[in-house]
Amino acid sequence: MVENSLFRPLQTALVLILALIAVALCASIAPPALQRTVIEALIKLTVVVGLFIFVGQSGVFSFGHVAFMAIGGYMSAILTLAPARKATLLDLPGAIEALQLPWPLALVAVIVAVGVLATVVGWPFCRLRGIALPMATFALLIITYVVASNWQQVTGGRQALVGLPRYVGLWTAFGGAALAILVAAGYAMTRHALMLRCSRESEVAAAATGIDVERERLIAFVLSAMVVAAGGVLFSHFIGTITASTFYLDLTFVTLTMLVVGGMRSLTGACAGVALVSLVSELLRSVERGVAIGDVTIAAPPGLQEIVLAALLLAILVLRPAGLLGDAEIGWPSFRRAAPATATRQQG
Amino acid sequence: MMIQPDSGGADASAASLEVDGVVVDFQGLRAIEDVSLTLRPGEILGLIGPNGAGKTTLINVLTGFQAVTQGSVRLGGVDIAGWKPHERSRRGLVRTFQSVLPFAGLTALENVEAGGVAIGLVRGEARAEAVRILSEMGLAHAANRKAGTLPFGEERRVGIARAIAMRPRFLLMDEPAAGLNDAECRDLQTIVRGICVSLSCGVLFIEHRMSMVFELCHRIQVLQLGRTLALGPTDAIRADPKVRKAYLGEDEVSPC
Repeated sequence: MVENSLFRPLQTALVLILALIAVALCASIAPPALQRTVIEALIKLTVVVGLFIFVGQSGVFSFGHVAFMAIGGYMSAILTLAPARKATLLDLPGAIEALQLPWPLALVAVIVAVGVLATVVGWPFCRLRGIALPMATFALLIITYVVASNWQQVTGGRQALVGLPRYVGLWTAFGGAALAILVAAGYAMTRHALMLRCSRESEVAAAATGIDVERERLIAFVLSAMVVAAGGVLFSHFIGTITASTFYLDLTFVTLTMLVVGGMRSLTGACAGVALVSLVSELLRSVERGVAIGDVTIAAPPGLQEIVLAALLLAILVLRPAGLLGDAEIGWPSFRRAAPATATRQQG
Repeated sequence: MMIQPDSGGADASAASLEVDGVVVDFQGLRAIEDVSLTLRPGEILGLIGPNGAGKTTLINVLTGFQAVTQGSVRLGGVDIAGWKPHERSRRGLVRTFQSVLPFAGLTALENVEAGGVAIGLVRGEARAEAVRILSEMGLAHAANRKAGTLPFGEERRVGIARAIAMRPRFLLMDEPAAGLNDAECRDLQTIVRGICVSLSCGVLFIEHRMSMVFELCHRIQVLQLGRTLALGPTDAIRADPKVRKAYLGEDEVSPC
């Protein structure tokens, strides 16, 4: 019983991945428009799970992780665009302009590079206390946005970078999401995650228990940034273009809403949040487009989606501050040994 | 005249926790005037004194949550002024809190496991150790419950179990009996004696419940207004008229 529960996160991950397979299979026979929605949701799942690695275990909010999506997306664009296109759109040093990597190689390179970058950025960040750390992450988001929308030579400034190889389909997106879940579950099983969760409960008691809170935060921050960057890469290559304004406040709001609605302390919650928010958004989008009843088409005013999502977030914060699932995780249904109530579901 | 303990040879000092001439100022207010203290392995030193005497400040100094204005703290002869709280606890200078400060959202088992993990054990080892410690402390039934949902007495024991899992060389206990009933206090005494003997750990025991302090401690140091009023073997302190007057209350004139 005791040995078993150390591997619980892995069980949870497998159940979640099975659910994703079911979703992906359904989507594979769905009309293209719906399929695109599912792909987008799967990519957002990668991002939200990445965010969960840091926010969920540390209890510290980050408003800056979308910046790592942007950085990942732009890096991957520069590494995969054809040299001729780079020559017209950008003004890069010759060697980088000439470089064109196959996308898997570019993906790995981006994840490693973002890991290094997140270590450099996160090191001072994780020394900050209280509200200073979330504010610093917000500053990171703003800085990244301003740089990305003005650094003409490297990002194309306000113009979109177009012509990215569009390699992301349903199963690539599924693969990304499944890997992100496995990484999050794998991390949750480590001693580092346990120590970080302790600091979430009480920073003072964690320090008194020999836990280096700054270091544990940094480890999770870097890992989480890498997963989110992978999400940014997938997102860019799914859309095929990249603009700075994509990775700003809207996306930050949506991803944080997904995490908070589902329950930011739970991997299952993160996934449930993505599913619910994506579903609600999609329904509202179709209402905004207009619903035909007989001859009359009733269309809701644009912006309804944002308002309803904000209301949903507000309702959750008021009624269930820990999110829909709190910190409960899905696991194997336990058929054998019905008795040990203590052994199976410790979460309340 | 202050009752001096034998100051100990070089050996005793090498293995001890020593506070030497510590002064702590809070923005012009002097919380600790000049306190020295020695805690040896395997002994239980009672630290008593009225509220505001500087007991908790002294614990904060020892565990690195409070910087000193003057003086030094040495662990096994090494000055630990530059060590952060987590470095101190990892190297055996462990505390418990008056308010326990459990990791409320984690299970009792995870609370204790965290102590083992923090000193470098892998999770499996730390978990096995935590299971053992919890069952020794009669908390096996609570292992998978969240620490924040436990009854107060059990929560306190989880706090102590978490400290034990760190294999302390010196354990600083800040009012561990506050809020416990008599039966729980007796259990606590057994636990503290057990820690002291089995881990040959020095225990600094801060408590207001004098009967417990007198029964449990080998030596007692009395603080008043940031200074040491008296220090000596328990019986000597119990009989010291100065201590009785200042702390135990003048009304308690009849000898125990």
